Amino acid sequence: MSRLFAGLVLMGVLALAGVLGGCASGSPGSDQAQAGAAGEGDPWEPFNRTMYKVNTELDRYTLRPAAEAYSRVVPDPVRTGIHNILTNLAYPVQLANDMLEGKPRRAGDTLVRFVVNSTVGVLGAVDVAQHLGYPDHSSDFGLTLALWGVSGSPYLFLPVLGPGNPRDSFGRIVDIAGDPFGYIGQGTGVVVARWTRLGVNLIDQRAQYLGVFSQIRRTALDPYATFRSLYRQHRSAEIESVRADHARTVPAWFPVSAEPSDHSSSN
Amino acid sequence: MALRRSVLAIIALGLALAPAAGFAQGSGESAAGFIQRMGQQLVSIIDGHGSTAEKQAALERIVDSDVDVSGIARFCLGRYWRVATPAQQQQYETLFRKVLMISIDGKLGDYQGVRFTVGRTVPRAEGQVVATTITAPNKPPTEIDWVVRNIDGSWKIVDVIAEGTSLRLTQRDDYDSFIAGHGQSVQALIDALRRQVSQNA
Repeated sequence: MSRLFAGLVLMGVLALAGVLGGCASGSPGSDQAQAGAAGEGDPWEPFNRTMYKVNTELDRYTLRPAAEAYSRVVPDPVRTGIHNILTNLAYPVQLANDMLEGKPRRAGDTLVRFVVNSTVGVLGAVDVAQHLGYPDHSSDFGLTLALWGVSGSPYLFLPVLGPGNPRDSFGRIVDIAGDPFGYIGQGTGVVVARWTRLGVNLIDQRAQYLGVFSQIRRTALDPYATFRSLYRQHRSAEIESVRADHARTVPAWFPVSAEPSDHSSSN
Repeated sequence: MALRRSVLAIIALGLALAPAAGFAQGSGESAAGFIQRMGQQLVSIIDGHGSTAEKQAALERIVDSDVDVSGIARFCLGRYWRVATPAQQQQYETLFRKVLMISIDGKLGDYQGVRFTVGRTVPRAEGQVVATTITAPNKPPTEIDWVVRNIDGSWKIVDVIAEGTSLRLTQRDDYDSFIAGHGQSVQALIDALRRQVSQNA
Protein backbone atom coordinates (compact mmCIF):
# COMPACT_ATOMS: atom_id res chain seq x y z
CA MET A 1 0.00 0.00 0.00
CA SER A 2 2.75 2.46 0.95
CA ARG A 3 4.54 1.66 -2.30
CA LEU A 4 1.37 2.45 -4.22
CA PHE A 5 1.12 5.72 -2.35
CA ALA A 6 4.74 6.57 -3.17
CA GLY A 7 3.92 5.83 -6.81
CA LEU A 8 0.92 8.13 -6.71
CA VAL A 9 3.00 10.92 -5.20
CA LEU A 10 5.67 10.46 -7.85
CA MET A 11 3.03 10.66 -10.55
CA GLY A 12 1.66 13.77 -8.93
CA VAL A 13 5.05 15.45 -9.09
CA LEU A 14 5.45 14.39 -12.71
CA ALA A 15 2.02 15.72 -13.53
CA LEU A 16 2.72 19.00 -11.78
CA ALA A 17 5.94 19.45 -13.69
CA GLY A 18 3.96 18.76 -16.83
CA VAL A 19 1.16 21.16 -16.04
CA LEU A 20 3.60 24.03 -15.66
CA GLY A 21 5.09 23.25 -19.03
CA GLY A 22 1.72 22.47 -20.60
CA CYS A 23 -0.10 25.60 -19.48
CA ALA A 24 2.29 27.92 -21.21
CA SER A 25 1.67 26.48 -24.65
CA GLY A 26 -2.00 25.65 -24.12
CA SER A 27 -4.87 27.26 -25.94
CA PRO A 28 -8.54 26.80 -25.05
CA GLY A 29 -10.74 24.50 -27.05
CA SER A 30 -7.93 22.57 -28.64
CA ASP A 31 -9.23 19.19 -27.37
CA GLN A 32 -11.71 18.93 -30.18
CA ALA A 33 -9.18 19.59 -32.90
CA GLN A 34 -6.74 17.06 -31.54
CA ALA A 35 -9.32 14.31 -31.43
CA GLY A 36 -9.08 14.26 -35.21
CA ALA A 37 -5.51 13.29 -35.93
CA ALA A 38 -3.73 10.42 -34.26
CA GLY A 39 -0.24 11.17 -33.09
CA GLU A 40 -0.77 14.91 -32.98
CA GLY A 41 -0.49 16.53 -29.58
CA ASP A 42 1.50 13.58 -28.27
CA PRO A 43 5.07 14.91 -28.15
CA TRP A 44 5.84 12.58 -25.22
CA GLU A 45 4.83 9.51 -27.21
CA PRO A 46 8.04 7.51 -26.53
CA PHE A 47 7.71 8.09 -22.77
CA ASN A 48 3.96 7.45 -22.90
CA ARG A 49 4.39 4.18 -24.79
CA THR A 50 6.89 2.98 -22.18
CA MET A 51 4.47 3.89 -19.39
CA TYR A 52 1.71 2.15 -21.33
CA LYS A 53 3.79 -1.05 -21.39
CA VAL A 54 4.61 -0.72 -17.69
CA ASN A 55 0.94 -0.24 -16.93
CA THR A 56 -0.11 -3.22 -19.04
CA GLU A 57 2.29 -5.48 -17.14
CA LEU A 58 1.33 -4.00 -13.78
CA ASP A 59 -2.32 -4.42 -14.65
CA ARG A 60 -1.86 -8.04 -15.71
CA TYR A 61 -0.50 -9.08 -12.31
CA THR A 62 -2.34 -6.74 -9.95
CA LEU A 63 -5.46 -4.81 -10.83
CA ARG A 64 -6.90 -7.07 -13.50
CA PRO A 65 -6.82 -10.31 -11.48
CA ALA A 66 -8.18 -8.39 -8.49
CA ALA A 67 -11.00 -6.91 -10.56
CA GLU A 68 -11.74 -10.30 -12.15
CA ALA A 69 -11.91 -12.01 -8.76
CA TYR A 70 -14.09 -9.18 -7.46
CA SER A 71 -16.51 -9.56 -10.38
CA ARG A 72 -16.58 -13.35 -9.95
CA VAL A 73 -17.04 -13.50 -6.19
CA VAL A 74 -19.22 -10.49 -5.42
CA PRO A 75 -22.76 -10.68 -6.85
CA ASP A 76 -23.94 -8.05 -9.33
CA PRO A 77 -26.36 -6.12 -7.06
CA VAL A 78 -23.76 -5.89 -4.27
CA ARG A 79 -21.17 -4.56 -6.72
CA THR A 80 -23.66 -1.96 -7.95
CA GLY A 81 -24.31 -0.95 -4.33
CA ILE A 82 -20.60 -0.61 -3.61
CA HIS A 83 -20.11 1.37 -6.81
CA ASN A 84 -22.94 3.70 -5.81
CA ILE A 85 -21.51 4.22 -2.31
CA LEU A 86 -18.10 5.12 -3.78
CA THR A 87 -19.71 7.49 -6.27
CA ASN A 88 -21.71 9.09 -3.49
CA LEU A 89 -18.59 9.67 -1.38
CA ALA A 90 -17.15 11.72 -4.25
CA TYR A 91 -20.11 14.13 -4.38
CA PRO A 92 -18.74 16.86 -2.08
CA VAL A 93 -15.82 17.27 -4.50
CA GLN A 94 -18.16 17.05 -7.47
CA LEU A 95 -20.41 19.73 -5.96
CA ALA A 96 -17.45 22.08 -5.56
CA ASN A 97 -16.48 21.49 -9.18
CA ASP A 98 -20.04 22.07 -10.44
CA MET A 99 -19.97 25.42 -8.70
CA LEU A 100 -16.50 26.30 -9.99
CA GLU A 101 -17.74 25.46 -13.47
CA GLY A 102 -20.56 27.96 -12.98
CA LYS A 103 -23.31 25.39 -13.45
CA PRO A 104 -25.87 25.95 -10.66
CA ARG A 105 -28.34 23.36 -11.94
CA ARG A 106 -25.70 20.66 -12.01
CA ALA A 107 -24.54 21.72 -8.54
CA GLY A 108 -28.15 21.42 -7.35
CA ASP A 109 -28.45 17.95 -8.88
CA THR A 110 -25.28 16.84 -7.11
CA LEU A 111 -26.40 18.30 -3.78
CA VAL A 112 -29.81 16.63 -3.97
CA ARG A 113 -28.20 13.35 -5.03
CA PHE A 114 -25.81 13.46 -2.08
CA VAL A 115 -28.48 14.31 0.49
CA VAL A 116 -31.15 11.91 -0.82
CA ASN A 117 -28.87 8.97 -1.59
CA SER A 118 -26.91 9.32 1.69
CA THR A 119 -30.13 9.12 3.70
CA VAL A 120 -33.01 7.41 1.89
CA GLY A 121 -30.51 5.58 -0.30
CA VAL A 122 -28.76 3.98 2.70
CA LEU A 123 -25.33 5.66 2.68
CA GLY A 124 -25.47 5.96 -1.08
CA ALA A 125 -25.95 2.27 -1.89
CA VAL A 126 -29.26 2.84 -3.69
CA ASP A 127 -29.52 5.55 -6.32
CA VAL A 128 -32.93 6.91 -5.27
CA ALA A 129 -32.29 10.38 -6.68
CA GLN A 130 -31.99 9.02 -10.22
CA HIS A 131 -35.66 7.98 -10.09
CA LEU A 132 -36.64 11.37 -8.68
CA GLY A 133 -35.26 13.12 -11.74
CA TYR A 134 -31.78 14.03 -10.54
CA PRO A 135 -29.46 12.22 -12.93
CA ASP A 136 -25.76 11.73 -12.34
CA HIS A 137 -23.16 13.58 -14.38
CA SER A 138 -19.40 13.76 -14.37
CA SER A 139 -17.49 16.63 -12.89
CA ASP A 140 -13.91 16.90 -11.74
CA PHE A 141 -11.26 19.58 -11.45
CA GLY A 142 -9.77 18.59 -14.81
CA LEU A 143 -13.14 19.38 -16.41
CA THR A 144 -13.32 22.63 -14.47
CA LEU A 145 -9.86 23.64 -15.71
CA ALA A 146 -10.90 22.73 -19.26
CA LEU A 147 -13.89 25.07 -18.99
CA TRP A 148 -11.54 27.75 -17.72
CA GLY A 149 -9.56 27.38 -20.92
CA VAL A 150 -6.67 25.13 -19.87
CA SER A 151 -5.55 22.95 -22.76
CA GLY A 152 -5.83 19.17 -22.70
CA SER A 153 -2.47 18.60 -24.30
CA PRO A 154 0.04 17.17 -24.38
CA TYR A 155 -1.21 13.66 -23.92
CA LEU A 156 0.22 11.87 -20.89
CA PHE A 157 -0.10 8.20 -20.03
CA LEU A 158 0.74 7.19 -16.47
CA PRO A 159 0.68 3.78 -14.78
CA VAL A 160 -2.43 3.15 -12.64
CA LEU A 161 -3.90 6.55 -13.59
CA GLY A 162 -4.04 5.56 -17.25
CA PRO A 163 -4.58 7.94 -20.17
CA GLY A 164 -4.72 11.65 -19.41
CA ASN A 165 -2.84 14.88 -19.67
CA PRO A 166 -1.12 17.23 -17.23
CA ARG A 167 -4.34 19.20 -16.77
CA ASP A 168 -6.40 16.16 -15.79
CA SER A 169 -3.66 14.64 -13.62
CA PHE A 170 -3.28 17.93 -11.79
CA GLY A 171 -7.07 18.07 -11.49
CA ARG A 172 -7.07 14.65 -9.92
CA ILE A 173 -4.55 15.70 -7.29
CA VAL A 174 -6.67 18.75 -6.46
CA ASP A 175 -9.77 16.55 -6.23
CA ILE A 176 -8.00 14.16 -3.83
CA ALA A 177 -6.51 16.99 -1.77
CA GLY A 178 -9.85 18.78 -1.59
CA ASP A 179 -11.88 15.75 -0.52
CA PRO A 180 -13.37 16.47 2.93
CA PHE A 181 -13.51 12.74 3.68
CA GLY A 182 -9.72 12.83 3.61
CA TYR A 183 -9.75 15.08 6.66
CA ILE A 184 -12.77 14.10 8.74
CA GLY A 185 -12.11 11.87 11.75
CA GLN A 186 -8.95 10.31 13.10
CA GLY A 187 -7.63 7.06 14.52
CA THR A 188 -6.73 3.70 13.06
CA GLY A 189 -10.30 2.93 11.98
CA VAL A 190 -10.49 6.05 9.82
CA VAL A 191 -7.08 5.42 8.27
CA VAL A 192 -8.08 1.85 7.42
CA ALA A 193 -11.37 3.08 5.98
CA ARG A 194 -9.56 5.63 3.80
CA TRP A 195 -7.13 3.08 2.37
CA THR A 196 -9.96 0.58 1.90
CA ARG A 197 -11.89 3.18 -0.05
CA LEU A 198 -8.90 3.87 -2.29
CA GLY A 199 -8.29 0.17 -2.91
CA VAL A 200 -11.92 -0.71 -3.56
CA ASN A 201 -12.23 2.34 -5.79
CA LEU A 202 -9.33 1.15 -7.97
CA ILE A 203 -10.80 -2.34 -8.24
CA ASP A 204 -14.33 -1.05 -8.87
CA GLN A 205 -13.12 1.28 -11.62
CA ARG A 206 -11.09 -1.49 -13.22
CA ALA A 207 -14.01 -3.94 -13.01
CA GLN A 208 -16.20 -1.48 -14.95
CA TYR A 209 -13.91 -1.83 -17.94
CA LEU A 210 -12.90 -5.50 -17.83
CA GLY A 211 -14.70 -6.48 -21.03
CA VAL A 212 -13.96 -3.31 -22.95
CA PHE A 213 -10.23 -3.24 -22.21
CA SER A 214 -9.61 -6.87 -23.04
CA GLN A 215 -11.55 -6.46 -26.28
CA ILE A 216 -9.51 -3.42 -27.30
CA ARG A 217 -6.24 -5.18 -26.45
CA ARG A 218 -7.37 -8.13 -28.55
CA THR A 219 -8.74 -6.33 -31.61
CA ALA A 220 -6.83 -3.07 -31.96
CA LEU A 221 -3.74 -3.10 -34.15
CA ASP A 222 -2.18 -0.36 -32.03
CA PRO A 223 -3.93 -0.51 -28.62
CA TYR A 224 -1.91 2.45 -27.34
CA ALA A 225 -3.22 4.67 -30.15
CA THR A 226 -6.75 3.31 -29.74
CA PHE A 227 -6.84 4.10 -26.02
CA ARG A 228 -5.42 7.54 -26.75
CA SER A 229 -8.09 8.21 -29.34
CA LEU A 230 -10.90 6.93 -27.12
CA TYR A 231 -9.71 8.95 -24.14
CA ARG A 232 -9.46 12.19 -26.08
CA GLN A 233 -12.82 11.81 -27.76
CA HIS A 234 -14.57 10.83 -24.55
CA ARG A 235 -12.99 13.69 -22.64
CA SER A 236 -13.81 16.33 -25.22
CA ALA A 237 -17.40 15.02 -25.38
CA GLU A 238 -17.60 15.35 -21.58
CA ILE A 239 -16.24 18.90 -21.72
CA GLU A 240 -18.66 19.85 -24.49
CA SER A 241 -21.62 18.40 -22.61
CA VAL A 242 -20.79 20.49 -19.52
CA ARG A 243 -20.23 23.57 -21.65
CA ALA A 244 -23.53 23.09 -23.46
CA ASP A 245 -25.53 22.38 -20.30
CA HIS A 246 -27.62 25.47 -19.72
CA ALA A 247 -30.40 23.69 -17.85
CA ARG A 248 -32.71 25.96 -15.87
CA THR A 249 -31.96 26.34 -12.20
CA VAL A 250 -35.62 25.93 -11.31
CA PRO A 251 -36.54 22.24 -11.50
CA ALA A 252 -39.44 21.11 -13.67
CA TRP A 253 -41.75 20.35 -10.74
CA PHE A 254 -41.44 23.82 -9.20
CA PRO A 255 -44.70 25.77 -9.71
CA VAL A 256 -43.80 28.80 -11.78
CA SER A 257 -46.66 31.31 -11.96
CA ALA A 258 -47.41 32.65 -15.40
CA GLU A 259 -48.22 36.13 -14.13
CA PRO A 260 -45.57 38.37 -12.61
CA SER A 261 -46.11 38.89 -8.88
CA ASP A 262 -47.42 42.33 -7.85
CA HIS A 263 -46.34 42.65 -4.24
CA SER A 264 -45.17 46.19 -4.68
CA SER A 265 -48.45 47.50 -6.18
CA SER A 266 -50.58 46.11 -3.36
CA ASN A 267 -49.07 48.53 -0.86
CA MET B 1 -8.69 31.59 -44.70
CA ALA B 2 -11.92 33.59 -45.02
CA LEU B 3 -12.49 32.12 -48.48
CA ARG B 4 -11.88 28.60 -47.17
CA ARG B 5 -14.29 29.18 -44.34
CA SER B 6 -17.05 30.44 -46.64
CA VAL B 7 -16.51 27.51 -49.00
CA LEU B 8 -16.83 25.16 -46.03
CA ALA B 9 -19.96 26.98 -44.95
CA ILE B 10 -21.52 26.53 -48.38
CA ILE B 11 -20.62 22.83 -48.38
CA ALA B 12 -22.06 22.43 -44.89
CA LEU B 13 -25.24 24.24 -45.95
CA GLY B 14 -25.54 22.01 -48.99
CA LEU B 15 -25.15 18.91 -46.84
CA ALA B 16 -27.74 20.19 -44.39
CA LEU B 17 -30.29 20.96 -47.10
CA ALA B 18 -29.80 17.86 -49.24
CA PRO B 19 -31.61 15.36 -47.00
CA ALA B 20 -34.25 17.97 -46.14
CA ALA B 21 -35.73 17.47 -42.67
CA GLY B 22 -34.02 14.12 -42.44
CA PHE B 23 -36.08 12.31 -45.04
CA ALA B 24 -34.64 10.07 -47.72
CA GLN B 25 -35.85 10.98 -51.19
CA GLY B 26 -36.90 7.54 -52.35
CA SER B 27 -38.75 5.94 -49.47
CA GLY B 28 -39.89 9.01 -47.55
CA GLU B 29 -38.70 7.28 -44.39
CA SER B 30 -37.21 9.49 -41.70
CA ALA B 31 -33.72 8.89 -40.32
CA ALA B 32 -35.24 8.00 -36.95
CA GLY B 33 -37.69 5.63 -38.65
CA PHE B 34 -34.81 3.92 -40.41
CA ILE B 35 -32.93 3.38 -37.15
CA GLN B 36 -36.13 2.23 -35.44
CA ARG B 37 -36.72 -0.35 -38.18
CA MET B 38 -33.12 -1.52 -38.14
CA GLY B 39 -33.18 -1.76 -34.35
CA GLN B 40 -36.30 -3.92 -34.45
CA GLN B 41 -34.68 -6.19 -37.02
CA LEU B 42 -31.56 -6.49 -34.86
CA VAL B 43 -33.59 -7.30 -31.76
CA SER B 44 -35.67 -9.92 -33.54
CA ILE B 45 -32.52 -11.61 -34.86
CA ILE B 46 -30.67 -11.53 -31.54
CA ASP B 47 -33.64 -12.75 -29.49
CA GLY B 48 -34.95 -15.07 -32.19
CA HIS B 49 -34.60 -18.82 -32.50
CA GLY B 50 -32.11 -20.36 -34.88
CA SER B 51 -28.48 -21.31 -34.60
CA THR B 52 -25.65 -18.88 -34.03
CA ALA B 53 -24.56 -19.34 -37.64
CA GLU B 54 -28.04 -18.45 -38.91
CA LYS B 55 -28.14 -15.39 -36.67
CA GLN B 56 -24.71 -14.29 -37.88
CA ALA B 57 -25.80 -14.65 -41.50
CA ALA B 58 -28.92 -12.56 -40.86
CA LEU B 59 -26.84 -9.95 -39.05
CA GLU B 60 -24.42 -9.73 -41.96
CA ARG B 61 -27.30 -9.16 -44.38
CA ILE B 62 -28.44 -6.19 -42.28
CA VAL B 63 -24.92 -4.77 -42.16
CA ASP B 64 -24.57 -5.05 -45.93
CA SER B 65 -27.89 -3.37 -46.62
CA ASP B 66 -27.92 -0.70 -43.89
CA VAL B 67 -24.28 0.21 -43.30
CA ASP B 68 -22.06 2.15 -45.71
CA VAL B 69 -19.23 -0.34 -45.20
CA SER B 70 -17.03 0.80 -48.10
CA GLY B 71 -17.46 4.47 -47.15
CA ILE B 72 -16.43 3.72 -43.57
CA ALA B 73 -13.50 1.62 -44.81
CA ARG B 74 -12.27 4.54 -46.92
CA PHE B 75 -12.65 6.94 -44.01
CA CYS B 76 -10.67 4.66 -41.72
CA LEU B 77 -7.72 4.49 -44.08
CA GLY B 78 -7.64 8.30 -43.98
CA ARG B 79 -4.70 9.93 -45.73
CA TYR B 80 -3.34 6.53 -46.77
CA TRP B 81 -6.31 5.81 -49.05
CA ARG B 82 -4.75 7.89 -51.82
CA VAL B 83 -1.34 6.33 -51.27
CA ALA B 84 -2.71 2.80 -51.68
CA THR B 85 -2.72 1.18 -55.11
CA PRO B 86 -6.13 0.25 -56.59
CA ALA B 87 -5.37 -3.41 -55.83
CA GLN B 88 -4.50 -2.56 -52.23
CA GLN B 89 -7.66 -0.48 -51.91
CA GLN B 90 -9.74 -3.43 -53.02
CA GLN B 91 -7.95 -5.92 -50.75
CA TYR B 92 -8.27 -3.52 -47.86
CA GLU B 93 -12.01 -2.98 -48.40
CA THR B 94 -12.68 -6.72 -48.52
CA LEU B 95 -10.64 -7.35 -45.36
CA PHE B 96 -12.19 -4.37 -43.59
CA ARG B 97 -15.67 -5.81 -44.16
CA LYS B 98 -14.59 -9.20 -42.83
CA VAL B 99 -13.03 -7.71 -39.69
CA LEU B 100 -16.16 -5.63 -39.10
CA MET B 101 -18.36 -8.71 -39.41
CA ILE B 102 -16.15 -10.69 -37.01
CA SER B 103 -16.36 -7.93 -34.40
CA ILE B 104 -20.16 -7.67 -34.76
CA ASP B 105 -20.63 -11.46 -34.65
CA GLY B 106 -18.51 -11.60 -31.50
CA LYS B 107 -20.92 -9.29 -29.70
CA LEU B 108 -24.00 -11.36 -30.53
CA GLY B 109 -24.08 -13.07 -27.14
CA ASP B 110 -23.65 -9.82 -25.19
CA TYR B 111 -26.90 -8.37 -26.40
CA GLN B 112 -29.43 -11.03 -25.54
CA GLY B 113 -32.63 -9.31 -24.41
CA VAL B 114 -31.50 -5.91 -25.71
CA ARG B 115 -34.03 -3.07 -26.16
CA PHE B 116 -33.85 -0.04 -28.43
CA THR B 117 -35.36 3.35 -27.67
CA VAL B 118 -35.07 5.93 -30.42
CA GLY B 119 -34.71 9.56 -29.34
CA ARG B 120 -34.10 12.83 -31.13
CA THR B 121 -32.56 13.37 -34.54
CA VAL B 122 -30.08 16.22 -34.92
CA PRO B 123 -28.71 17.27 -38.31
CA ARG B 124 -24.95 17.72 -38.33
CA ALA B 125 -22.31 18.20 -40.99
CA GLU B 126 -21.46 14.48 -41.02
CA GLY B 127 -25.10 13.42 -41.38
CA GLN B 128 -28.32 12.99 -39.45
CA VAL B 129 -27.50 11.93 -35.92
CA VAL B 130 -30.16 9.69 -34.37
CA ALA B 131 -29.88 9.26 -30.60
CA THR B 132 -30.86 5.90 -29.09
CA THR B 133 -30.76 4.34 -25.66
CA ILE B 134 -29.82 0.69 -25.57
CA THR B 135 -30.76 -1.36 -22.55
CA ALA B 136 -29.65 -4.92 -21.96
CA PRO B 137 -30.46 -6.94 -18.85
CA ASN B 138 -27.98 -6.44 -15.97
CA LYS B 139 -26.21 -3.62 -17.79
CA PRO B 140 -26.46 0.11 -17.34
CA PRO B 141 -28.28 1.76 -20.28
CA THR B 142 -25.94 2.92 -23.04
CA GLU B 143 -26.40 6.04 -25.14
CA ILE B 144 -25.61 5.30 -28.77
CA ASP B 145 -25.80 7.86 -31.57
CA TRP B 146 -26.17 6.62 -35.14
CA VAL B 147 -24.89 8.88 -37.89
CA VAL B 148 -26.88 8.18 -41.04
CA ARG B 149 -26.68 9.64 -44.51
CA ASN B 150 -28.86 9.43 -47.53
CA ILE B 151 -26.81 7.56 -50.10
CA ASP B 152 -28.47 7.02 -53.48
CA GLY B 153 -31.96 7.40 -52.04
CA SER B 154 -31.67 5.16 -49.02
CA TRP B 155 -30.37 5.61 -45.52
CA LYS B 156 -27.00 4.16 -44.61
CA ILE B 157 -25.21 4.17 -41.28
CA VAL B 158 -21.88 5.95 -41.67
CA ASP B 159 -20.78 6.07 -38.03
CA VAL B 160 -21.74 4.92 -34.55
CA ILE B 161 -20.98 7.15 -31.56
CA ALA B 162 -20.88 5.53 -28.13
CA GLU B 163 -20.35 7.69 -25.04
CA GLY B 164 -18.98 10.49 -27.18
CA THR B 165 -16.53 8.28 -29.06
CA SER B 166 -16.86 7.80 -32.80
CA LEU B 167 -16.27 4.27 -33.96
CA ARG B 168 -14.80 5.22 -37.32
CA LEU B 169 -12.59 7.96 -35.88
CA THR B 170 -11.17 5.56 -33.28
CA GLN B 171 -10.57 2.98 -35.99
CA ARG B 172 -8.88 5.54 -38.22
CA ASP B 173 -6.57 6.63 -35.39
CA ASP B 174 -5.70 2.97 -34.76
CA TYR B 175 -4.88 2.28 -38.43
CA ASP B 176 -3.10 5.60 -38.88
CA SER B 177 -0.80 4.96 -35.94
CA PHE B 178 -0.18 1.36 -37.02
CA ILE B 179 0.78 2.37 -40.57
CA ALA B 180 2.96 5.23 -39.32
CA GLY B 181 4.73 2.78 -37.02
CA HIS B 182 5.35 0.39 -39.90
CA GLY B 183 7.24 2.67 -42.27
CA GLN B 184 4.08 4.22 -43.77
CA SER B 185 3.29 0.91 -45.40
CA VAL B 186 -0.33 0.25 -46.33
CA GLN B 187 0.69 -3.32 -47.12
CA ALA B 188 1.63 -3.80 -43.45
CA LEU B 189 -1.94 -2.90 -42.48
CA ILE B 190 -3.40 -5.25 -45.09
CA ASP B 191 -1.19 -8.08 -43.79
CA ALA B 192 -2.22 -7.35 -40.20
CA LEU B 193 -5.92 -7.35 -41.14
CA ARG B 194 -5.44 -10.63 -42.98
CA ARG B 195 -3.90 -12.13 -39.82
CA GLN B 196 -6.87 -10.88 -37.79
CA VAL B 197 -9.28 -12.54 -40.19
CA SER B 198 -7.39 -15.84 -40.28
CA GLN B 199 -7.14 -15.94 -36.49
CA ASN B 200 -10.90 -15.68 -36.24
CA ALA B 201 -11.77 -17.95 -39.13
